[in-house]
Amino acid sequence: MQRTIRTRPTLPFSPEGDDGLIVCRCEEITKGEIRRAVYDGMRSMNEVKRYLRAGMGLCQGQTCQRLVQGILSRELGLPLGETGRIRGRVPARPVILEDFGMSDGDSEGV
Amino acid sequence: MLRYEMIVIGAGPAGLSAATEAARSGMQVVVFDENARPGGQLFKQIHKFFGSREHQARTRGFRIGENLLKEAEEAGVKVVLNAAALGIYKNKEIAVSFGGATRGYRADCIVIATGASENMMSFKGWTLPGVMGAGAAQTLMNIQGVRPGGRILMVGSGNVGLVVSFQLLQAGCQVEAIVDAAPRVGGYGVHASKLSRTGVPFYMSHTVVEAKGSDRVESAVIAAVDERFRPVAGTEREIGADTVCIAVGLSPMGQLADNAGCEMSYLPAKGGYVPTVSEFGETSIPGIYCAGDAAGIEEASSAMIQGKICAAAACNSFGYINDEEFRERAEAYGLSLSKLRAGMFAPQNKGRTDISHTAEGYPLSGSLLQRGYISQDEIEAFPAARPGSGKGLRPVIECTQNIPCDPCQDACAQGCISVGGDITGLPTVDGDRKCTGCCMCVAACSGQAIFLVDEDCGNGSGLIGLPYEFLPLPEPGALGLALDRSGNALCGAEVVEVRKSAAMDRTAVLMMKVPAGMACAARFFRPADGRQACRGR
Repeated sequence: MQRTIRTRPTLPFSPEGDDGLIVCRCEEITKGEIRRAVYDGMRSMNEVKRYLRAGMGLCQGQTCQRLVQGILSRELGLPLGETGRIRGRVPARPVILEDFGMSDGDSEGV
Repeated sequence: MLRYEMIVIGAGPAGLSAATEAARSGMQVVVFDENARPGGQLFKQIHKFFGSREHQARTRGFRIGENLLKEAEEAGVKVVLNAAALGIYKNKEIAVSFGGATRGYRADCIVIATGASENMMSFKGWTLPGVMGAGAAQTLMNIQGVRPGGRILMVGSGNVGLVVSFQLLQAGCQVEAIVDAAPRVGGYGVHASKLSRTGVPFYMSHTVVEAKGSDRVESAVIAAVDERFRPVAGTEREIGADTVCIAVGLSPMGQLADNAGCEMSYLPAKGGYVPTVSEFGETSIPGIYCAGDAAGIEEASSAMIQGKICAAAACNSFGYINDEEFRERAEAYGLSLSKLRAGMFAPQNKGRTDISHTAEGYPLSGSLLQRGYISQDEIEAFPAARPGSGKGLRPVIECTQNIPCDPCQDACAQGCISVGGDITGLPTVDGDRKCTGCCMCVAACSGQAIFLVDEDCGNGSGLIGLPYEFLPLPEPGALGLALDRSGNALCGAEVVEVRKSAAMDRTAVLMMKVPAGMACAARFFRPADGRQACRGR
């Protein structure tokens, strides 16, 4: 049977007791904000990232990605694997802008 | 822009093994690692590894790391540290940031061996100082030499949670409890048993619901969970702890493969999103390989073999080894890997709860899975764990699960112990052969599951030889308590001898005298003066 993936929750948003819990520590995004984002129409990891900056901080989602996926999965009733992932992008690690600017394509020394 | 034939990202077990294999065959290889030290997680691993001799079983992890580094150096591998790979571009160009600049490299082939990151869980108070990953706690104590805390709550009973808990005890911390939302202990039973007999309690089907404290953790609240892992109201219990360690699994770090454009898929058995790879570890982009935890969560021994397989494939595709040589190597490595990927904890059995018997047909200990220790009546189902009827010391092997490990059979010069060709088999003891009481099997067992037992050594006493890895070592003549498998005080005990030798590699064997009849149950020694590093409940 062909399954159609629902793109929004069927019930209206209702606050939960632990909505104040910080989920993305780098950008200080709470569980409630992420849940609310789902009701605003965000249904994937990347959408939530662009909407709230969750996963855009120092750790690049290494800490919160699974937690956000878990919230999405629960709110949308989707398996974890269908909530998407934060796309791996350059730079994969935080880099000092000056160091990045020193890039001259020259790899002398090593 | 410099060109290398092979660029390896990550100097852990998979990356270093790949680099060494490739360099030995003539490839020009460089390894970049973002850390200040190479070796990945190996240098944190102070315990003896499992597997068989070919996997360097019974060697402590950090020694395996030292060996790997030495081999890499001898093979002419260049390792660049404090160097973070920022991205992989078209045509296998890599940007690496180090020494105050970002430099571009071009590779003929790339091995992504970036490892894994720790999963976190969010609960009230999880951002308080004192809540940390179990791996972070391990780095603090084993790399930085800093005790992470005094009283620990460990969340997660997989091998990481169990191994780190034991190391915390060794570092002098008190492990207040191990909780896991699952109904069964996730890691090796032998690791759980090591903790239980010191008195560490296990709370299965429990989770942490809150870390309390004003500006740091002062206590933690745990609660039972229902079958859907939701906390059950009214079951809360507060545990005094200054540290909550989270060991709820690892996620592969596949961001660079993703960024390179490799096809990725979500595979729960591999721990999350991983690049799709061939049997030789090649991703959907020819010439880009992925090995170790980045390709799917396993452990260091299999990561090393995976690295070698990738490198052999790369060497073959660039003409450094011919097809025949490649086939031979791939077959040998494949065989070695399949030995590790066997038994009830094999990756393909991850999450299974329907295994009720060992491969030999013995019933698995339910108490071990639910409480972390084997009950006395359950242990008697295992022939190798039954004390013999004859006189003198005899090995008693409390190894009750099919895990890939066989150093015990190499350890006994008398040939008393055999595991057989399948290294996941349970060891058997040949009662007709004479045990000389040399203790080598006790020290060789990576799971510390072998004891020497003499039920009646005269004068109404029994004698037990038990593995002991805590400091300070008791002196001969030390008096104290014998603890049973659950960590409960059983009877008075006296240490009559402390065996240690270079071959035992810092696993001392305490020869402990107890009243006759107690030798079959006494499995740990707690000194009366309490000067022992490990303190259970």
